[in-house]
Amino acid sequence: MFAETEAQVVDTVRAAREGRRTLEIVAGGTRRSVGLPAPCDEVLDVSRLRGIVDYQPEELILTVRPSTPLAEIENVLATRNQRLGFEPQDWSALLGSCGAASIGGAVSANADGPAAVRFGRARDHLLGIRAVNGFGEAFKAGGKVVKNVTGFDIPKLFCGALGTLGVLTELTFRVFPKGPSLVLAKRGLDPDEGFALLREAWSSPLDATALILARDTAYVRIEGEAQSLAEKRRLLDGWSEEETIDFGFAPGPRDIWRVLCKPTDAGALVRKVAAPVWYADRAGALLWMAAEPAQSTKFASLDAECVRGSARQPRSAARAELDRRVKAAFDPLGLFNPGRMGV
Amino acid sequence: MELAEPNREILSRRAEIVAGLKSILPDGVVADRAGLAAFDGDALSAYRQAPLVCVLPRTKEQVAAVLNFANANGVPIVPRGAGTSLSGGALPRADGILIALGRMNRILEIDIDNRAVTVEPGVTNLAITRAVEEQGFYYAPDPSSQIACTIGGNIAENSGGLHCLKYGLTTNNLLSVTLTTIDGETVLLGSGGGYDLMGVVTGSEGLLGVVVEATVRILPKPPMTRTLMAAFGSVPDAGQCVAEIIASGIVPAAMEFMDRYCIEAVEAYCAPGYPKGAEGVLVIDADGLRSEVDEAIARIAAIARGLGAEVREATDEAERARLWAGRKSAFPAMGRLAPDMLCMDGTIPRRKLPEVLARMSAMAKDYGLGFCNVFHAGDGNLHPLIIFDAMKEGELARAEAFGADILRLCVEVGGVLTGEHGVGVEKRDLMPAMFDESDLAQQQRLKCAFDSAGLLNPGKVFPTLSACVEQGHLHVSDGRMPWPNLPRY
Repeated sequence: MFAETEAQVVDTVRAAREGRRTLEIVAGGTRRSVGLPAPCDEVLDVSRLRGIVDYQPEELILTVRPSTPLAEIENVLATRNQRLGFEPQDWSALLGSCGAASIGGAVSANADGPAAVRFGRARDHLLGIRAVNGFGEAFKAGGKVVKNVTGFDIPKLFCGALGTLGVLTELTFRVFPKGPSLVLAKRGLDPDEGFALLREAWSSPLDATALILARDTAYVRIEGEAQSLAEKRRLLDGWSEEETIDFGFAPGPRDIWRVLCKPTDAGALVRKVAAPVWYADRAGALLWMAAEPAQSTKFASLDAECVRGSARQPRSAARAELDRRVKAAFDPLGLFNPGRMGV
Repeated sequence: MELAEPNREILSRRAEIVAGLKSILPDGVVADRAGLAAFDGDALSAYRQAPLVCVLPRTKEQVAAVLNFANANGVPIVPRGAGTSLSGGALPRADGILIALGRMNRILEIDIDNRAVTVEPGVTNLAITRAVEEQGFYYAPDPSSQIACTIGGNIAENSGGLHCLKYGLTTNNLLSVTLTTIDGETVLLGSGGGYDLMGVVTGSEGLLGVVVEATVRILPKPPMTRTLMAAFGSVPDAGQCVAEIIASGIVPAAMEFMDRYCIEAVEAYCAPGYPKGAEGVLVIDADGLRSEVDEAIARIAAIARGLGAEVREATDEAERARLWAGRKSAFPAMGRLAPDMLCMDGTIPRRKLPEVLARMSAMAKDYGLGFCNVFHAGDGNLHPLIIFDAMKEGELARAEAFGADILRLCVEVGGVLTGEHGVGVEKRDLMPAMFDESDLAQQQRLKCAFDSAGLLNPGKVFPTLSACVEQGHLHVSDGRMPWPNLPRY
């Protein structure tokens, strides 16, 4: 089933509600393997619900439809030297999927990139939404200005919700200026040395927009106009300049995990899990790991999310109950991607 | 706005409710008239109401027990931090328990290496910065009441401050929040997967649960800050200057606008030296590394001069303080011109500033009232201050109607009802101006997911069926601000 407009989404959801048929919501289709397996009766293809609705560079505001490709957004913002602060990631190479990664999918999967260490995650940038809930009602939440506390902050709930709360039809973001940048690296480090260097950079006024440890190499990305970039470069004496960050993360068919931890715990955690493939983002606050399904018990006691694979992470009973009630507040019949979030 | 009639059945059970709470908190129940008078409202001083009973827990276990008790006995419960809300978020109910978290004021952990501080909800905003500043760090959100307001209240209201454009609101500076629900369950939010419940609890104005602990992010203190003042001959020029600064890729640490009325009032009050006859003044901070700040200030000055502004750069701390003194005394300066004042809080798209100011001037003429505007220009957050005399027949009602018209205007031009003060009771009945029925229905369903009996802070945020006169303001009576010792800007 296709829906090209919000009105068509409403009609489709109402029909699904009548017939009690579950819907898998697909935009770019590159992230269908993310989350727990959730077989649905039908696919609701919203890939034609795309395009930029409004872009106000001097207001730092961008409004788009959910299936707008990330590449299109990046290109438009780049014409005004701006970008999305959470640096949304195309995971198609990582997941072995094809298609054009969309902004709706990136938000729904919390697919933020290295710049999140400086500017925050998708939740910190999504200011407002329009969506259709499981009652078949279109609604809006949040606003289209950067500062707003009117009503509940429902846009944040949709970040990382894997399409289980409703069908997004419009998203409004704040955007950030993007200046010239420089990637610097230091090689030959063991994890503890690497994490210590990254934490030092993280607590300095460099305002780094990437703090990555990949294999034996620490990467710092700095940004600024000519003079300030030069001053930041001088503060990183002994680091070499690189073209790009080489994440070296090739998970193959393994399960893919994102583990959140205190940066000071990252070194010990990397040793304890001993994943065959890993890299660290946000100065060690986020570890990407790939592991065989048999190793999933190693993650059970961690603040970990299985991005691809069928491991179900334990959640406290009270927390799971709240999640169930929140899901039901938007989608009481469980029409949208049921089970994908584990509630 | 009229407050709902108290539930008589609950009032009749008062003695029993007080006794039940005393068994939970032997030394933490306030039930006498004089004691309760100290808790009869917050910084929205037009509304006063003593609670049925007030409890002062010291531990999360006590909070959970009190919430359990309220739930089991069907008694409404209103959370309170320091009571500095400008929207009546902590206004008590005659038929409700007031749970004041001020005694839970311990800093539990300072973790400099991980840039994290864990606190109880009654710790003040400024105390967090005080605890880490010697190590070169600070907590970024800085509401003007930061010396008094608590982190629990900041989370409930998603408080902002002067530096939001660059550093975000409370919600962008939280790592985790521990919430106790109306069922007495205590849950950690912000970690462990699931939906972003921390995101939706932040700014929920006490309607979803009680925050009993929080871990906040601290930032390394910028090595330097420089300040620049630019005075403009017209409001559109000032607005254009802000637009060009943002479009050029600069994110100032703070960027504040004052209109002509405000400039005149503060010049008469403390003579900060803003140029005579200016239609608008911008005070701008840039922070960061020296070269970063120097580059930003030079570019900002060039943009402002290109638009015909008179520009002055502070060369030392004393001059920085002087340039800011005018902006920070806008409230008391206006308060001197009339016995009463309302402070509004809306956000508009910045490009609409000239149109909004022109239409507000026309409205002020119609209403026959004085006003001025201060504006967090970076993020479009407008604070119109309306002055009036409540002793004059009908003037309070006119001021309130003017304020409501301003907020409707903010929504009409694409903005929102409140940028940082919250909806509370003050803007509750204006919610339909911004949200239609299906928007409000979805928010209320979310409320029900956390609190199906509607016991947490009822009467706030959502309009009731019996909507009365719409209004939105901070009321200052007899020329005295609520919390007279707190700076307000």
